[in-house]
Parts: sequence; C-alpha cells; structure tokens
Amino acid sequence: MDIVSQGGLWSKIKPAKRNRRQQEATIGLLFLAPWLLGFILLKALPILAALIFSVTDFKMLSPETTKFVGLENYLRFFRDPAAWAGLLGSLRYFVLTVPLEMVVALVLAAIFTSERLKNKRLSQTLIFMTSIIPSTSIFFIFLGSLEYADRLIFRPLNLPPIEGFDLLLPFMALWSIGPGFLIMYGAMQSVSKEIYEAAHVDGAGPIARFIFITLPMISPAIFFTLVINLTGAFGGAVLLDRGYILSFSLSPIEGYINETMFIEAELGYASALAWVTFTVMMTLTILLFRSAKRWVYFPEEDEVNEI
Amino acid sequence: MRFRRPAHLKDAPRLTYRLWDFTGTALLNLFMFIFLVAYLSPLPFMVIASLTSPTQFHDANAPILPSERVKFNYEGKDLIVYEVPTADGVRHWALYKPSRQSSQFIDPASPEAGPITWDGQWRSLKAVYRFKPTLDNFKEFLSITKLPLLFTNTLLVALISEIGVLLSSIAVAYGFARFRIPGIKYIFFLLIATIMIPTNITLVPTYYLYSRHVLDWIGTWLPLIVPHFFGSAILIFLLRQNFKSIPRDLDEAALLDGAGPLRILISVILPQSIPVVTTVALLHFFYIWNETRLSSLYLSISPNLQMVSFGIQRSQTFFFTPEMLMVGALMVMIIPVIVLFLSQRFFMQDMIVTQIEK
Repeated sequence: MDIVSQGGLWSKIKPAKRNRRQQEATIGLLFLAPWLLGFILLKALPILAALIFSVTDFKMLSPETTKFVGLENYLRFFRDPAAWAGLLGSLRYFVLTVPLEMVVALVLAAIFTSERLKNKRLSQTLIFMTSIIPSTSIFFIFLGSLEYADRLIFRPLNLPPIEGFDLLLPFMALWSIGPGFLIMYGAMQSVSKEIYEAAHVDGAGPIARFIFITLPMISPAIFFTLVINLTGAFGGAVLLDRGYILSFSLSPIEGYINETMFIEAELGYASALAWVTFTVMMTLTILLFRSAKRWVYFPEEDEVNEI
Repeated sequence: MRFRRPAHLKDAPRLTYRLWDFTGTALLNLFMFIFLVAYLSPLPFMVIASLTSPTQFHDANAPILPSERVKFNYEGKDLIVYEVPTADGVRHWALYKPSRQSSQFIDPASPEAGPITWDGQWRSLKAVYRFKPTLDNFKEFLSITKLPLLFTNTLLVALISEIGVLLSSIAVAYGFARFRIPGIKYIFFLLIATIMIPTNITLVPTYYLYSRHVLDWIGTWLPLIVPHFFGSAILIFLLRQNFKSIPRDLDEAALLDGAGPLRILISVILPQSIPVVTTVALLHFFYIWNETRLSSLYLSISPNLQMVSFGIQRSQTFFFTPEMLMVGALMVMIIPVIVLFLSQRFFMQDMIVTQIEK
C-alpha cells in the first residue's frame, strides 16, 4: 500500500481497480463462508481425523488408553473375512444393480422422446415417484408383497418361494431410476434436431441414429448417472436420499462399519475400514473420470462446470 | 423428433400409411401402459393389503381383494358359509355341525328345511367371501405407533433445517455464480468432490464429535439440524447452475442504482429463481422425510424425538404381518408422494433443465 500511494496519478487509477477486484473477492468469499466453514469442520477435518484414528486402537469406552498402533488396523482388515465380504458385497451391489438401472432408464428415456407417446407428464411423474418413496416403505412393501407374489406368481407357476432378500436389490434398483431417467431424457431433448435430420437424409435408420447420435450426444448424462449410482452403492446419496434399511443395509460395507463402531465401539478399526472403503471408492471414481475422456463428449470446455 | 413417412411407404396409399402410423402409436402407448402397470404393481397391493383383515391371510383359498366371510345367522349363531360340492352342483351352505367325516349344513335359502348331512371333510371346503374393506388395520397401527408425534417431529426438523439449508445454500451459490474470486475453479471442484464423498468416511469422527466426550449432542436434534446451516453441496450446485443462467445485465443495472451484493441477490436473483429454490427446498424436504441414517446414530435412545421414517422402521418389531407392514408403508410414503404430485409441474421440469446445464 505504501509504495502505491507514492506513485502519482497512474497509480491512483490502478489500485482503485485492484481494490475493487479485491473487494469483490472478499465479498464473494464472505458468501462462500458458510460452505467453506462447513467443508473444513464437517468434511476435511473429519476425514483427516479418521486417518489419525485409523492408526490407533481408539475405543469409544476408553479414550484415555488410546495408543499408536501403526498399520495394525489395516493389517487386521486383510485378515478379517467379514470386512472383505462387506466390501465385495458393496461392489457386487454396484455391478448387479447399476447396469439394470442404467439400461431401463435409458430405454424409457428413448421411448419418451417419441412424439407418439401420450400422457407424458403423468407417466413421467409415475416413473419418478417410485424414487422418492422412503426406503422404510420400500422395505415394508417388499415384505408385504411376498405373500401376494407367492400366491399370484410363484405358486401358479410352480416356482420355489422367494428366499430372503434376493429380490429386494433388483426391486430397489428398479424403483430408483427416477433421477437417471430424468437426466437422460432431458439430455435427449436437448440434442439438436438438425443432426438427426442430416442423418435421416443420409439414410440412417432409427437404431443407427440412436447408437451413433443419441448415445454419444447424451454421454455426459450417462456419465453423470453412473457417478450418482456409484456413490449410491457405497452409501452416499447424490440427488435423492431415501434413507437406509436398518436391519438390512443395502451397502454391506457401510453396515459392517456401523457395527464395528457401535457394537464393538472400536473407532480406530472402524476408521480404518472407512478409509479402505473411501480409497476403493475414490479409485473407482478416478478410473471412471479417466475413462470419461475416451467416451464422454464435452461440447465446450471453457466452463468450469463440466466435471 | 417429428414423425416422417418411412421410405418404403412413400408411395403407399394414404390409408395404408394412416394404418401404419396408427398401429405404431397404439403399440408404443400400449407398451408404456403395460410397463407402468407392472412397474407400479406393488402399490395397488399395498392399498389392498392395508384394507384387508388379518384373518383373510390365514386362509390360503381367500380372494385377493379385501373381503369378509359370508355368515348366516341360524338359531342365534353366526355360521360360516362354504362352497359345498353336491350332486346338483356347488351350493353355498352354512356349516352347522362340523365333524371329521361328514358334517351338517344349513341351506341359507331354506333354513326351515333343517340341517343337511354332507359326507366329506369340511376343512377342504372353500369359504364364501364378500368384498368388504376394513379400516381396522389403520386403527391398530395408530394404537401401536406414535404417528402424530412422529409426523410433528419430522415437520419441525424439516422446517428448521430447511431455513438453514436454504439461507446458506443460496448465499454460497450466489458467491459461486457471481463473484470473481482467485482460485474459485478449484473451490468449485472441491464442492463437486464433496458431493461424491461417501458419508461413512466422516462418520466415525463426527460421531465422536457429537458424543458425550465432546459436544454431547446425542439424543438431540442438533446433529441432524446444525450441519445443514453450512449448506448442502448438491443443492448449492443446482442453485449455482441456475443463478449462472440469469443474465448479468440486471445485476449491473441494479449495481449502478447503488444496490449492494445482498440487495442484488434478494431483489434481482431470487425473484427469477423461485422454481429452482422450490425444487431445492423439496429435495431437502424429501431428504429429511426419508432420513434414517443419522437418526439411527443419534436418536435411537430418544423415542420422543424420532422422525417418521426411522420411527416406523424401528417399530417394525411390533408388526410383521403383511397388512400391518403395508399400512406402515402407506403411512410413511403418503406425504412425499402427495407433495411430489402437487409440485410435479415445475419440480420435474426443473430437475431436467438444471441437469442439462451441467
């Protein structure tokens, strides 16, 4: 400031401009403050704290006896079959349900672009509705429907009755397509008509147009839906969170971490488990983003908002 | 995309073309109709089961729709009417004196004729049912759960956290959309990254923070409400996308008139963003309504503070029959579904539009 004030007329204009810039940044940061504070207090610090907990034998009931144990908790994870089962269960959930969700949502979105379809708004709301139903209701409906499914489908067809929760996962997945369907449908509507016209003139049939125009053009939407579903499989929620089922965690690793934390009260080991899950999930996300460069079409790259 | 006359029908007579067009439209709509019926099929069963009396589930031969057994009053006693196969076809007779090998029946059409003896096992007979929905399940459900309390709690938490999450998310989104801040690109990237961070990585330390060792917030609403006052990453993202699409000319005009940043937000940006703000508010409402994760951590020990989704799910140990489960399902989902239908006009539109912007 001192140097600036010595410099006569020229410097009088420049600092004013710079000050205005600085002022704008300060006010902007003030507006960002709630989130920045929340990010530090509720995200960054807890993640670091979890890392520190994970190298100790921190127990809820006796915090004062905590000592550093190095990588013991991580080694324990490698020897713990239940933890592996949980992690593989979450991965299995992702691999089993996500393709189902994606394909059904994509096919529905494609049908919805047809001008021949009547009552679009009602159908759209009905399809979306199932995605806001709380998991409590879904769980109850599933249990309560078993009786009817048995009576109307399984017994007449001489099929063995449903065992346990095998069908809950696909049921829940099919009833979660709402956001993905809306995102892909929206993306399909925004594809410019001229491209289709041109392809039509060149003799491309409806299937060829879908594969060579629609799919590449909506690849960002497909990618975004994939990210939402990946997050969901590991116990996160992006757009709609319907809560989880207490007695039957849909993300098995999440259930196992909760169990370690509550029943065993071993915060150190629970943190190590959380960090392992976090690493696996982040690796998958990064791989997904890396692969995005090959198959996702980004129309303009000047904006920050393309992820 | 507008329908075009396909190449192989270009020279076909108009009637053939019309027929082709009509068949296509009919098939497509029929497919969507069948899909929707199959997709939503558990919901009618939910309503049917919740109106069905529990005894009907014990009878494997009972009809699907809520019904009651037809009874016939004979000599002051209610007799159950069965479908009895006789030499003259199936008759609807009331069971008077059951016994293993042969039983006595009364014909309701001519009770004065007295008991008729029928040879066979009465247990293999089908009872006659008449359509009759019952509300008893709902009454029983209300008596074993504290539904009014759970609803009040949910609405209170939703309201308080809604104020917090809207105030902070709108402010932060405005900061992201309108201010030139050095490195804002990286801060925004952090925001996107936090959307994808799974909740369980922060679970253990935050649980310790709220436990009696530090803040002692367990058994209160604070862990469910306070974090929302720091804004929610996905809501900030949606709002910011929308704020960015509002032309800057209006802000600049207001700025020249001497309006400050806060004034511009309130009188220029917000009036043009009512749909997206409503969408975001609804998303948060659905989130609170469906909340079970945090409740299971922080409200398990305080039944009087629990919210509907968690509270009902917890009391599931008291009801496990199909009809009570379905009543529970209906009670938990009815309000979000009504809210969605009331707001569908712009809620769905906005979800689509905001996403394309990405």
